[in-house]
Amino acid sequence: MEMDMDMDMVQLNMDIQMKRMQVRSVESQRWQEHEHIPLTSLHHSHATKPNSGRRGKSVHARASLWDSIRAGLLKSSPATLADPKPSDEDEEEELQSEEVILLEKVQTDGTVERIVFDSGADVDVSDLELLCDKVGWPRRPPAKVKAALRNSYMVASLHLHRQLPLSEKNNDGGNKRELIGLARATSDHAFNATIWDVLIDPMYQGQGLGKALVEQMVRALLRRDIGNITLFADAQVVDFYKGLGFEADPEGIKGMFWYPRF
Amino acid sequence: MRISSKRRASSVSEAFGVTESGLFSLSNDELLSRGFELHSSYEGIDLDQLNSLFLKVGFPRRKKEKLTRALQHTLSLFWLRDVKSDQMIAFARATGDNVFNAIIWDVVVDPSYQGAGLGKAVMERLMADLVKRGISNIALYAESNVVGFYRPLGFVSDPDGIRAMAYSRKRR
Repeated sequence: MEMDMDMDMVQLNMDIQMKRMQVRSVESQRWQEHEHIPLTSLHHSHATKPNSGRRGKSVHARASLWDSIRAGLLKSSPATLADPKPSDEDEEEELQSEEVILLEKVQTDGTVERIVFDSGADVDVSDLELLCDKVGWPRRPPAKVKAALRNSYMVASLHLHRQLPLSEKNNDGGNKRELIGLARATSDHAFNATIWDVLIDPMYQGQGLGKALVEQMVRALLRRDIGNITLFADAQVVDFYKGLGFEADPEGIKGMFWYPRF
Repeated sequence: MRISSKRRASSVSEAFGVTESGLFSLSNDELLSRGFELHSSYEGIDLDQLNSLFLKVGFPRRKKEKLTRALQHTLSLFWLRDVKSDQMIAFARATGDNVFNAIIWDVVVDPSYQGAGLGKAVMERLMADLVKRGISNIALYAESNVVGFYRPLGFVSDPDGIRAMAYSRKRR
């Protein structure tokens, strides 16, 4: 059995350390009106959300991931695949929600507006439909969209959160959130990921949010050790992605489509 | 009636129907009579054999744990086993969201068995399976020397100026 796991173990250790880091709570920040926080000083928040089934796991649960990986190393791996069922426990830990606050603005009345990136938020299909309308994309059958999201490896979203002043103490109770950006990736969960459907609400374009969305998504994919991150870019956005570290026709590789309807 | 794959299909169902007869360049029976057994699941895949097949065509050897995970999260895959040598000699798989988009990866044929239509055989079956699921956007990334292999199967490179892109850590 190949024991070339050292790099994986180092990376896993780093991931766990990062998730255990204490996060500055927003309340401890100065409540002064400012334009925006520069994107270089991003916060990582791993706040648990009450209405999510998948998230909110304790530190103890994360420790068990480490144990199970270690236990797996001591077993010899079979040459053939006997059990086709994936180990859901390990995967669920990997797909923890990762929130990053991209922009923050305090209004004069005390309303706090935040634009938050999340690699694991639940995206409402009707919210997505509205967003597609705004960018001028044709609507697709909701049931199919729901299935596509469910079958995607990662659905990264940008939400505008509005925290009203009266419910300041009750963080989640007074929160309104609006979907303003989305990108999703399909993947084999190991080697390759392909990014699809990158969209930003036109009202919020021109602020660098598209770049932030893709950049954060790439980081999230790299943290999961996906080595090959790919996409297909319309001609007019090739430069946009080049600026984010993507290379067109890498090593002369060409993108090909089957009977494209163009 | 055999449908020529060179002609642009006016509908996906016309290009690949549900039944097999007259559909594939080589039928399952024809493959078997030539000594090749077709498989469409990852049950019975020997990871060592898969890795050595990858190595034969210049792909890197992959860690078994990762390979297992990749295959478990693959939508569809087809492979051929040479009955006499008991070796895996052709392979192809596709990932995607099972609704809108699919990407084909790791299409390989053992160099000793190339030129016999075996790559086409696994590709045709993979395409038929994806089309049967209603997936209309099927794409892949082709090295420059195999673009000519995919074209007769109905693939077009850079349609409408769309470009394949990959994240490169060097550029950051």
